[in-house]
Amino acid sequence: MAERTDWSQRLQNFDRRWIFVAMGLAIAVPLFYPLNLPVEPSAMVKSAYYTVESLKPGDRVLLSLDLDPASTPELEPYYRAVMLQLKRRRVRIVIATTWYAAPPLVERWIAETVEGRIIKPGDPSYQGVPDDPYERNEDFVWLGFREGREATINGMATDLRGTFDNQAANGIPLVQLDIMDGIRTLADFDLVVMVSAGFPGIKEYIQQAQGRGNVPMVGACTAVSTPEYTPYYSAGQLLGLVGGMSKAAEYEKLVGKIGTATAGTDVLNFGHMVVIGAIVFGNFIYFTGRRRRRRS
Amino acid sequence: MRTTLPLLLGFIAGVFAFGELYIPAPEYRVVFEHLRDFAQILASAAFILGGINVVQVNYPKIRRREEDWPYKVVMLASALIMGLSGVRWHAVGGERESGRVLVSGTAAAAVPARLRVQAADRDALVVIDGGLPLRAWHDGEPGAIERAPGSQPLELDLAAGEHTIAVSKPVNGYASYKTTLVVGTSLAEPTSAAATRVAPGQLATVEADLVMYWGAQSPNLGRVFTWLYDHVFFPCNATMFALLAFFIASAAFRAFRARNAESALLLGAAILVMIGLVPIGRALSPVFPEIEEWIMDVLNTTGRRAIMMGAALGAIATGLRVILGIERSHLGAE
Repeated sequence: MAERTDWSQRLQNFDRRWIFVAMGLAIAVPLFYPLNLPVEPSAMVKSAYYTVESLKPGDRVLLSLDLDPASTPELEPYYRAVMLQLKRRRVRIVIATTWYAAPPLVERWIAETVEGRIIKPGDPSYQGVPDDPYERNEDFVWLGFREGREATINGMATDLRGTFDNQAANGIPLVQLDIMDGIRTLADFDLVVMVSAGFPGIKEYIQQAQGRGNVPMVGACTAVSTPEYTPYYSAGQLLGLVGGMSKAAEYEKLVGKIGTATAGTDVLNFGHMVVIGAIVFGNFIYFTGRRRRRRS
Repeated sequence: MRTTLPLLLGFIAGVFAFGELYIPAPEYRVVFEHLRDFAQILASAAFILGGINVVQVNYPKIRRREEDWPYKVVMLASALIMGLSGVRWHAVGGERESGRVLVSGTAAAAVPARLRVQAADRDALVVIDGGLPLRAWHDGEPGAIERAPGSQPLELDLAAGEHTIAVSKPVNGYASYKTTLVVGTSLAEPTSAAATRVAPGQLATVEADLVMYWGAQSPNLGRVFTWLYDHVFFPCNATMFALLAFFIASAAFRAFRARNAESALLLGAAILVMIGLVPIGRALSPVFPEIEEWIMDVLNTTGRRAIMMGAALGAIATGLRVILGIERSHLGAE
């Protein structure tokens, strides 16, 4: 009996640094020894994919990249997958951001994935339509960043050109660009794709623009924001939602190019198990302690 | 008057913004767009105010050597360095050219024209007529750009015709220098007005001293700003976010306790959602993803909608109180 008391007493002083060790291992080990469990696309992800897939060559899409470096592990895989899909469909893309920390990151992504190739020629892991580079100001235009949060999005919904001072980020007047012909507001786009890490983002686009012009929208967000945006998907205001890394892995599967989200999902498998284990273990300690206190 | 005027302005602006949704007149929209521009300007000006506030709050603490003052020094120094790197210093006093072409020697029809690149930057790359890049300074093989730069300047023969020469750095944040050379004397007008004519037998020397950009303005992001963003801001930002995994695991262990029926329900739902979200849940049983979807689509959506509608009604009520002047806390009133 004394032994059992010692054991439960020792549990009360469990060093939580062991939890950190377990989480560290859960993150590191799957990167070297992946489980490669099958990924099954969910309804929201399929809906986002087929909405983009229904675009025709020459259609115009606004891609709003509202994020910062912290959220790239969760959002960059979706960005790369959807960019590949947009380029395959030869859709023309207008890129903008409402986050001040985004422009250097977006400029790099544009150089790597829009002006460059996401799929290198001869990549054996990819069987789809070739990924050809896009020409700046012809196939895509980068509008840059504007401060003002909801006011900026509201401006895009009513006067997109004026909001960006009638010029692209490199100073070329928008009136000179064929890609901007007939584009006055967000409602003139065939689709708005939002890659959003928080405020301002999906919610503000829906509040300021979707209802005003019935703008078709799909979005990707961090996993923690997914519950907040799910009602918009249920209401039909969002045509698809890709929430977090695990859903980005599902999107990668649909696009046919396995990327970092699929590798990251293995980490999530173990990470979630560690958190569940921590909850169960914490409660076990709590109940043994409570029982001991009641007895004494 | 001190409160009446702001209240009146608030009333007019509020009613005007509200009316924009219902009055489609173009004149109305023009005025509204001006108001929205004011909002954007105010939001941008808040950055300046924020910068001043950071100094006002932290500088006295540093002077008084209060607790953790060295961190405040680091913060202010970082803000200052990032701010200074965002200024376009290279353009102060006018932007300078990144290169020029000098033609020397006498024309000789039997001898080909030559090109020599004299780049101030050892790692500069040269692209001729859109071909593969060559090293401006090489060790005998200009095409081997994977090797370190050598000590020989790039020098080669130029055939008759028009040639484009581009000198650039292999890293971002520098200007590139482009020029057009027209070799031969009996050719048609060059396509570029700024082209330089080179006769056979002459030597065209392209001198390049590529300007290093400063500032944070697209598309020529400054070298220092880009470096700080890529090598300081990006990893620090990502690290802070990555630490959340450990904090969540620790919080799950210490705080998620089934103390009563409600918290037990919450814990159960959280565990089911976490299992159902990842492929291992489906591998354990196909029921887990279905339960997760049901919890998210039915329970979460219902609860969220109720919260959103409540918050929206609250926002409408607060908006009306501000417009009608009942709510005055934003004017400093109790």
